[in-house]
Amino acid sequence: MNTNNNVYTVIYTTVIVVLVAALLAFVSQSLKAKQDANEKAETISQMLTSAQYGTKAELDKLGNAAKLDKYAQEIDKAFVINLDGQVVRELEGIDVYSPKQLKRENYNIKGGPNKTGEPELPVFIFKNGRTVVPIYGAGLWGPIWGYISFENGTATMTGAYFDHESETAGLGAKIKDDPSFQKEFVGEVADFGQANVIEIVKGGAPKDAEGKSVADNKIDAITGATMTSQGLDAAIDTWLAAYAKYFLAQEKSCQKSCCEGKEAHDCKEEAHDCEQHKCEEE
Amino acid sequence: MDAKLKETILNPIFKGNPITVLVLGICSSLAVTVTLKGALVMALSVIVVCGISSLILSLLRNTIPGRVRIIVQLVVVAMMVILVDQVLKSFEATYAIDKQLSVYIGLIITNCIVMGRIEAFALGNKPWPSFLDGVANGAGYGLILIIVAFFRELLGSGTLFGIDILNRFGYVPNNLVILPPFALILLGCIVWVQRSIQKDLQEK
Repeated sequence: MNTNNNVYTVIYTTVIVVLVAALLAFVSQSLKAKQDANEKAETISQMLTSAQYGTKAELDKLGNAAKLDKYAQEIDKAFVINLDGQVVRELEGIDVYSPKQLKRENYNIKGGPNKTGEPELPVFIFKNGRTVVPIYGAGLWGPIWGYISFENGTATMTGAYFDHESETAGLGAKIKDDPSFQKEFVGEVADFGQANVIEIVKGGAPKDAEGKSVADNKIDAITGATMTSQGLDAAIDTWLAAYAKYFLAQEKSCQKSCCEGKEAHDCKEEAHDCEQHKCEEE
Repeated sequence: MDAKLKETILNPIFKGNPITVLVLGICSSLAVTVTLKGALVMALSVIVVCGISSLILSLLRNTIPGRVRIIVQLVVVAMMVILVDQVLKSFEATYAIDKQLSVYIGLIITNCIVMGRIEAFALGNKPWPSFLDGVANGAGYGLILIIVAFFRELLGSGTLFGIDILNRFGYVPNNLVILPPFALILLGCIVWVQRSIQKDLQEK
């Protein structure tokens, strides 16, 4: 048979490509449920890491089922808010946002042709007094996302975990692999009133006399990963600005209940250390 | 087993090793050898992709139109790579490793060993020897990967398969070993050892 004639070549390649595509589509469909389950468990372990339930390595030693159990056990409440900080609906059971859902919400926050509706932003409040919110954006080579935890009712960060699809190993990938970068967020205070909620700065964040980082909204960038650092900065700013109204309202109501001497839910545990002079002003 | 088949299997492991002699697949051997577990999964993935792609293309070899043979090879190899990636993503045990290897599983398709063996061997030989050739070349690649990863994990993290080994004796992990350049140094050492054993590889 002459395998070099044009008709044969075209038919042959078409058949091969269609067969391969069909096989891959079938395999992808049949494995999807398992992959989604793995992704969900991974998302939960990232959220638990940022809420300081252990290091990522420790949490990864748990199996998928154990991760889900831990989440079910530790979650206080989870709900979805709109841009005005109002609760739209509750998230029942083990309902977390996959990176794909975060991508969709990212478009909704930013607007533009890919917008599908009003942003629905998830908030997760854990029993240890941490509020966890996600962020999503573009790194150098692909999407980056992550979770930042705050002390309930404050703008003080207590932890962070970031993940990425394809940042450069050893440089941009440090947002995920380098626990010391994630630790830098601990104790820093987000500036919710501003467009620059958090600044990732080159050349070092301000330090006090003892060499400790000042509790401001500045975080050291990663050396050699300028583009990823900038992408992360933009992602955090976009998302936290979308959450700003919720956090500001929460802070105000906690301050109020503190001044009135009431124990309030979803506020910092030691509600008594509210600043006295702020109460007197009101 | 006849001598020729034996040669097909044994040659890629040592005498004609794809990494140290043909110098193919260097990129991924620098990238995925930080941990033994990662190297092992990568090695197995390459063995599967290389073996089965060679088998399929050897079965098809008389029907493939000459002008589009590279494209047909590419389609088959890409299919195998995606299948391997999908399977790794589906199991709880391998999901974390797949995440750690990230793009490098997908990049098996650009591993010159796979296409190189198909072009050089599978298209001109019967299915069974082609399959063995693919598996053996994958194994030759995997062997070097595992040797490099053994030293890098042992000296760079003080562990093997994540279990503390040197760490128990107060060893301080060497960060240089974790970085890709050290893999290149190690590869150089392996080539050195091999060429001093196998004198005919030495260039005059």
